[in-house]
Amino acid sequence: MPDQDTARVRTARSGTYLTIRATGVLLAVLALGHFGVTHIVNDVAATDSSFVARRWSSALWVVWDALLLAMALLHVGAAMGAVVRDHCPGRGARRAVLAGMRVLIAALFVLGALTLVVAAG
Amino acid sequence: MTAVQFAFLAGLTVVSAAIVAFTALVLLSARRIDGGPHLLAVLRARLGRSPYDLAEGNRWAFYVHRITGFAVFAFLALHLLDVGLYALSPALFDEVHALYSTPLMRVFECGLLFALLFHALNGLRLLVIDLADVGARAAGRLLDGVGVLTFAGTAAGSAVILWPVFAP
Repeated sequence: MPDQDTARVRTARSGTYLTIRATGVLLAVLALGHFGVTHIVNDVAATDSSFVARRWSSALWVVWDALLLAMALLHVGAAMGAVVRDHCPGRGARRAVLAGMRVLIAALFVLGALTLVVAAG
Repeated sequence: MTAVQFAFLAGLTVVSAAIVAFTALVLLSARRIDGGPHLLAVLRARLGRSPYDLAEGNRWAFYVHRITGFAVFAFLALHLLDVGLYALSPALFDEVHALYSTPLMRVFECGLLFALLFHALNGLRLLVIDLADVGARAAGRLLDGVGVLTFAGTAAGSAVILWPVFAP
């Protein structure tokens, strides 16, 4: 029941929705651009390690991929609360799924950031 | 097939199974979330019904948005792993990357394009609905536009992606 939410919960939730929208607008460009470059402009067969090496020698694409990584994971992190509330009955299960998702998102961020730093840094 | 290729295909199987399972979860819990008759019963009753109810369209857009969002995230998790191989060893990355241009993966990539296009366009539609405060009729028109653009973009992109399969 929305009218039973406390002011603090309402503020947190509006921050969450703002995060989803702000990262979403950026992702519409970043993710579709990424897919376009790797599947439409270039055939996917050509995007091998030499393609990655060439791509990551340009600062533009390193920044692009770093932003894509950060925005995508922020977007998921902000949106998963509503998804888990809807599809996961029970407080204990919800807490467990959300905790698991936070660990997964953090691990994916570390993996992606390490890849960028090691390969392009 | 090498060990990393097998691992990637096992990962892809897990991702695909997760997407199917999540879709089933959303459809099965739909009745509990927003009441009314079961989604699949609605599908049976509404198929071929014309003209379609705008509210019903928005309802389906909500579920497709949720499922495509999950699908893109599930693939992203696997994709970060295979690109991570590049930092470890470019040769190992190339072994897995060779799978991306197989016909089966190309079909998967067409599905990924559909998910990205629908999720991005419908997300922008939701933004417009909130900012411009448009009513239900205009929201329905916007959804028609999202559907047309998603279909056209997926068809055109799929033609490019699948071209090498049919004309090598």
